[in-house]
Amino acid sequence: MDALGNLLLGFSVALAPVNLFWCFVGVVLGTVVGVLPGLGPAATIAMLLPLTLKMDHTTAIITLAGIFYGARYGGSTTSILLNMPGESSSVATCLDGYQMARNGRAGAALGISAIASFIAGTVGVLGLMLISPPLARFALRFAPPEYFALMVLGLAMVVFLAGDSMVKALLALFVGLWLATIGTDLFTAESRFTFGQAKLLGGVDFIAATVGIFAVGEVLMNLQSRSGGEIIKLPRGLKNLLPTLQDLKDCRFAFVNGSLIGFFVGALPGAGATVASFLSYGLEKAVSRHPEKFGTGVIEGVAAPEGANNADAGGALVPLLTLGIPGGNTTAILLGGLILWGYKPGPLLIQEHPELFWGLVASMYVGNVLLLVLNLPLVPLFAQILRLPNYVLHPFIIGISVVGVYSVNNSLFDVWMMALFGLLGYLMRKLDFPAAALILGLVLGDVLERALRQSLMMSQGDLAIFVNRPISATLLAIAVVLLCLPALRWIRAWRADAVEREG
Amino acid sequence: MRPISYLFPVALVGIAMLLPHPAASQEFKPSKQIETVVHTGPGGGSDLFARAIAEMLQKEKLISQRMQVVNKSGGGPAVAMAYLAEKKGDTHTVGFYTGVWVTNPLTTVEATVTLKDLTPITRLVLEPAVIAVKADSPYKTVKDFIEAAKKNPKQLNQSGGTILSRDNLMRMLLQKATGAQWNFISFPSGGERLSNLLGGHVQMMVIEPQEAGEQIRAGNLRVIATLTEKRLASLPNVPTIKEQGIDVPLIPQARGMLLPPAAPKEVVAYWEGVFDAFVKTPTWKQYVDQNQFEDAYLKGAALNKFLDALKDQMREVLKEAGAKVIR
Repeated sequence: MDALGNLLLGFSVALAPVNLFWCFVGVVLGTVVGVLPGLGPAATIAMLLPLTLKMDHTTAIITLAGIFYGARYGGSTTSILLNMPGESSSVATCLDGYQMARNGRAGAALGISAIASFIAGTVGVLGLMLISPPLARFALRFAPPEYFALMVLGLAMVVFLAGDSMVKALLALFVGLWLATIGTDLFTAESRFTFGQAKLLGGVDFIAATVGIFAVGEVLMNLQSRSGGEIIKLPRGLKNLLPTLQDLKDCRFAFVNGSLIGFFVGALPGAGATVASFLSYGLEKAVSRHPEKFGTGVIEGVAAPEGANNADAGGALVPLLTLGIPGGNTTAILLGGLILWGYKPGPLLIQEHPELFWGLVASMYVGNVLLLVLNLPLVPLFAQILRLPNYVLHPFIIGISVVGVYSVNNSLFDVWMMALFGLLGYLMRKLDFPAAALILGLVLGDVLERALRQSLMMSQGDLAIFVNRPISATLLAIAVVLLCLPALRWIRAWRADAVEREG
Repeated sequence: MRPISYLFPVALVGIAMLLPHPAASQEFKPSKQIETVVHTGPGGGSDLFARAIAEMLQKEKLISQRMQVVNKSGGGPAVAMAYLAEKKGDTHTVGFYTGVWVTNPLTTVEATVTLKDLTPITRLVLEPAVIAVKADSPYKTVKDFIEAAKKNPKQLNQSGGTILSRDNLMRMLLQKATGAQWNFISFPSGGERLSNLLGGHVQMMVIEPQEAGEQIRAGNLRVIATLTEKRLASLPNVPTIKEQGIDVPLIPQARGMLLPPAAPKEVVAYWEGVFDAFVKTPTWKQYVDQNQFEDAYLKGAALNKFLDALKDQMREVLKEAGAKVIR
């Protein structure tokens, strides 16, 4: 009852016309910065922070949080249409989203991503509202060994990202892991693989690498085909542009999977939405009845990661609001904002400023509805972009890629890196290496290495630290089971074969 | 966003014309947006500091142009410093530095630009640090912790940033002074350092009082010593490390502003004038109090002396800490 009373208080705050207006402004802005690669929610919020000083504080956080979760909605659009992730958290969406678009189902992919975002976003807010304090306490039990186990679990998913050849998938994965080591080593402050380049001290920019491999690589690949004027087939009529009932049914599990994984991983300060989206994609594929179809354009492969990165937004606010601990860049800016507005973010924030917390929670329910209403009608509109012939579309993709990658760090160096990765992406396609495995290595490599070294420093080099702790032992056990699944399948196939021969 | 950025300068120029000019403004006055370089991403310490200063300078109408914060992160401060070095002589670019701008070039081959190559203008604050443990831990004083570390060498853990960070350098100095030994676990973000302390996975952390403040108030953390010369106003009952009989050099964590190399004299004078006026405002005083910084305004020769001394001290400390000093 207490929560209900508080929520009513929250809605009375969130539905005040001024808050409703700014919530709308926030989510629209968020969608816009999410759509384009480059300028992300963190930079946008930082730029707008001074303006919020003149606002009521609750209104201010409602606006800025709107940008934060709105960007997660927008991120999928270019992933699906152009194979160009708008945010790093929508990289996993490219895998099946872009293939769906190529199969003429761009509308369904965009639609399902809006719906999955809405469902998971709402579940994320529900979780934030109901279980924040106990979840924050649970998340504190995650130390380096647990993170290591979680990353191993993520890498085990590579088994499911593998195409025809496991060897090629592993090779791509190791190149990704290697790329993740470039830059200044956190522990020794020494530089690794920088070739004397000061610009590589910060490591390989993730957006430059993914846009290069996915978007630029795809364009280069298409240049080979002589049919310059060929366009992707796009069905006419609004009905064909939205997901069907069957699609929604197929995604039942993906909604749950994305919501839960996104929310829980989001609440961990050291993981983030990109990790969450890959984990839920991997899980979706692992439990699927037709895992072999993933990567060719299955709708669950879009719903799961898109759900995860939206539920993550709710999860990421858990440590921020209950403990005053930011998990990533964007929440760090929100923390800075709270201090600037005169709050003391920490364990007592919700207790002392219930109107802030409950107003924000209620506004996020409203914001998610606004985003769904805003995004669904845009689906047919965005899908029209695919009607452009290749000789218009491809320069357009390259143009957006260059501008987007440049604007992340205002660095021309990153643009050259993107070009280099574009070439790599082309070669990988040509030689049939799974690009997703490389990206997975790049995403997880950093945290994996860090967590491993941190754990071993804590245990004085004793590997038992990974199995003596219940959470890490459990996660590692699941990873082992995942790794054994394909082997089981081979054995079963071999036995069936043997039985057939005997019979 | 855009329309505002057009309105701002127009409004502020109008207001600024009505106000008395800062000392040297006859010779130089920014005529366009000022590019403000920081070495952390959005939300990092330096980023938030620069944005707060920019905001306050505008609020106090001390500058007539917008300061646009540009994040040049990577390799600690190396990318930002290299970028500023390329802007040699540019009159509309400034940067915000911290102590790591002094230490990083000492140990990193690629970091060829040093603080001396740039044009430091001011030191604004010193950030105090405290030693915090979990509230339910058995350590009530630094002595308790040191004794425990001596009894179980290399069994206790401290969370912190890189090995070049103040956290680790303080650990090295403390270990040297007391003979105790414990591990230092690097985490990239402050959030992870703190959550590992709160989760009981590490036993100790060197933390800024502002960051620990709410955790102390909520009863999650206990401060067992301040790493300051005098006790902190916000923690009057916590003795300094020296009061507890451990004599270690204290490493100041400075934040301030600088210009690219070869900054024209009149530009230097302009910014000195701006900050001379700024540090006298109540807005500044309130900001310093709120963040529990030490107000430590310095400029000119005194600033250069401080930075030189800091570099020499850091070189010694780094050598003791076992880092490869190359400059």
